[in-house]
Amino acid sequence: MIPSALLALALLTGSARAELTGQLRGQWQERSAAALGPLAAANALQAGTAPQAGSGALLDAELRASAGPLTAALSLQHSRLDGLPPRSTAALQELYLSGEALGWQFSAGRKLVAWDVGYAFRPNDVVAQEERRTLLSNMPRGRPLLQAEYFSAETAWSLVWVNPEPRQQAHFGDEQALALRVYQRRGALDLHGFARLGEHTHESLGAAAAWVASDSIELHASWRYARRNEVWRNRNGTAALLPASPWQVEALGRRQQALLGASWTGENRLSLMAEAWWDGNALSAAQWRDWANLNGGLRAIASQLPAPLQGAAAGNLAWQAQAFGNSSLRRRNVFVRLAWDHEAWQPALDLLYTPEDGGRIVTASLAWTGNRWRIDAGLRSWGGPAASVIAQLPQRRLAYLASSWSF
Amino acid sequence: MKIKTIVLLTLALGLGTAQAADVAALLRDADRYRAGADQQQIDTQVEVLNADGSIEKERRYTVLSQPGHRSLVLMQSPAEKGQKVLMLGDDFWLLMPGSQRPMRITPTQKLLGDASTGDIATLSWAEDYEGELLGEERCGEAACLHLSLKARRKSVSYQRIELWVGKQRHEPLRAELYVQSEKLAKQASFVLDKAQSMVLEMALQDALSNKKLTHVRYLARKPRQVPEAWFNPMFLARSPSLE
Repeated sequence: MIPSALLALALLTGSARAELTGQLRGQWQERSAAALGPLAAANALQAGTAPQAGSGALLDAELRASAGPLTAALSLQHSRLDGLPPRSTAALQELYLSGEALGWQFSAGRKLVAWDVGYAFRPNDVVAQEERRTLLSNMPRGRPLLQAEYFSAETAWSLVWVNPEPRQQAHFGDEQALALRVYQRRGALDLHGFARLGEHTHESLGAAAAWVASDSIELHASWRYARRNEVWRNRNGTAALLPASPWQVEALGRRQQALLGASWTGENRLSLMAEAWWDGNALSAAQWRDWANLNGGLRAIASQLPAPLQGAAAGNLAWQAQAFGNSSLRRRNVFVRLAWDHEAWQPALDLLYTPEDGGRIVTASLAWTGNRWRIDAGLRSWGGPAASVIAQLPQRRLAYLASSWSF
Repeated sequence: MKIKTIVLLTLALGLGTAQAADVAALLRDADRYRAGADQQQIDTQVEVLNADGSIEKERRYTVLSQPGHRSLVLMQSPAEKGQKVLMLGDDFWLLMPGSQRPMRITPTQKLLGDASTGDIATLSWAEDYEGELLGEERCGEAACLHLSLKARRKSVSYQRIELWVGKQRHEPLRAELYVQSEKLAKQASFVLDKAQSMVLEMALQDALSNKKLTHVRYLARKPRQVPEAWFNPMFLARSPSLE
């Protein structure tokens, strides 16, 4: 895969009318692990059960080249983080051909197609999910697809055949699927309709709207209904040591997700965004209670076991972290972001809050942008009451400092 | 007495209409020095200078401008490459680099960052403002006309512009740009090319906060008609070729 990507980039940049752009970035991260939660408990029982990335440096490069109908995007990363071996990765994020025929636009290859109107949650991003609330912007990875699009002045149709080859073991949207988006502009209002037919998850429907209500206020909303959806669930109801993880991906029926959001921007370049969403794919309050009871039960079992057997209890506790893998941690979520655009500086403060248990993730960041250089620094903190899900995530704090050079 | 009143009113109305027509023609003349053709591609360079004259920031834009208040601004500088702003009348969208999602933005959000430069580059005084001729003044050595312009649309960056144009050829000489709150935001001056036919550069002195000076240089203008689809907000996720 990577040699072919490098070959594609070389061919593209060798072309007379090719364009190559990109970014090189060096970053330092200082992390501290949470003392609560199943991973902390697992590592306390037996150190190294669930190795976690610690502090350290990351170097990454993003390269994008295009020539005529061909576009390629490649990302390279090297990391040296405490607790993990040095790691180098390279990924072909996009490689596709695009063209026009009979008034339609076509694309074929690996490509990022991202939809929906939300910032912190996007239920209708049904072709390839863009990452949400990243500390630093990262080039997202596209999926293999064939795409046909039609644009008139105010309407757009987009039909995507994603993962054209059947995939029996694919989960969380990485299955073969047909996805359709219809867009209609009505003055200050943008309307979107979505439909998706997945090989395993079958039909789902969605709708979204964005409306500019005044010079400073924008409102947006998104809704999705799925007849079947895939989520992580624990198939074991009682605390007992098991030889394999009880967490499995299950297809559950009739789920809804909905988001409401608003943003305000003042003449002084201060902006405030607020979003609230319901995610039917998240575990219910009762399921989280069962999860917490199971964690307590496993810790109680571990305390009775002789030292040589505590590794098994630690492993069982570590598997409980798979509960964090669904699209949202809690069904009810609130997100607020305050930012100021002041000349070359952009300070921002954001909060993700889960009202069901009082969990919160707070991020403070500061960016400076020059002609080619950009400096980013920030701090993210995971907290809330000890019983909240967010307080039991593996990390407690993360501070970062990054320097990027664009060309 | 009644007849006299009617005659005077008719004369006043006629004079008012004539003055409005004169102002519209003056503004069309002044626009031609900055904009050129109705359908065109403009390459623009923006330099922001610190108080000591050093360059704080340099940005390049390509602006595709079509009739009906439609403009597509493509950011060309390394720090912003891939960023696009689409302006359709009072409606605006932004596409950030690395994303494939065009986002609806408010007129105030459009002013964030350097995208407002695109607006400055493409606004049409004749179409976006109604004006009043305040009289003849001296602009340095030459005689000039002082016009007071009021925005027809709320979404333009400046709600009031005081504009001075040459008396003979109506070329723009200088302007004072006021935001919604009636504060003076910028003072603009215009430099013409050697042939004295087009504006080569616009200098904007920030009057609101930082006293910085911005130079907007028009590097190239060429007539260009682009497909209707390029002005569909969802088309922003595709990359139009500028060749």
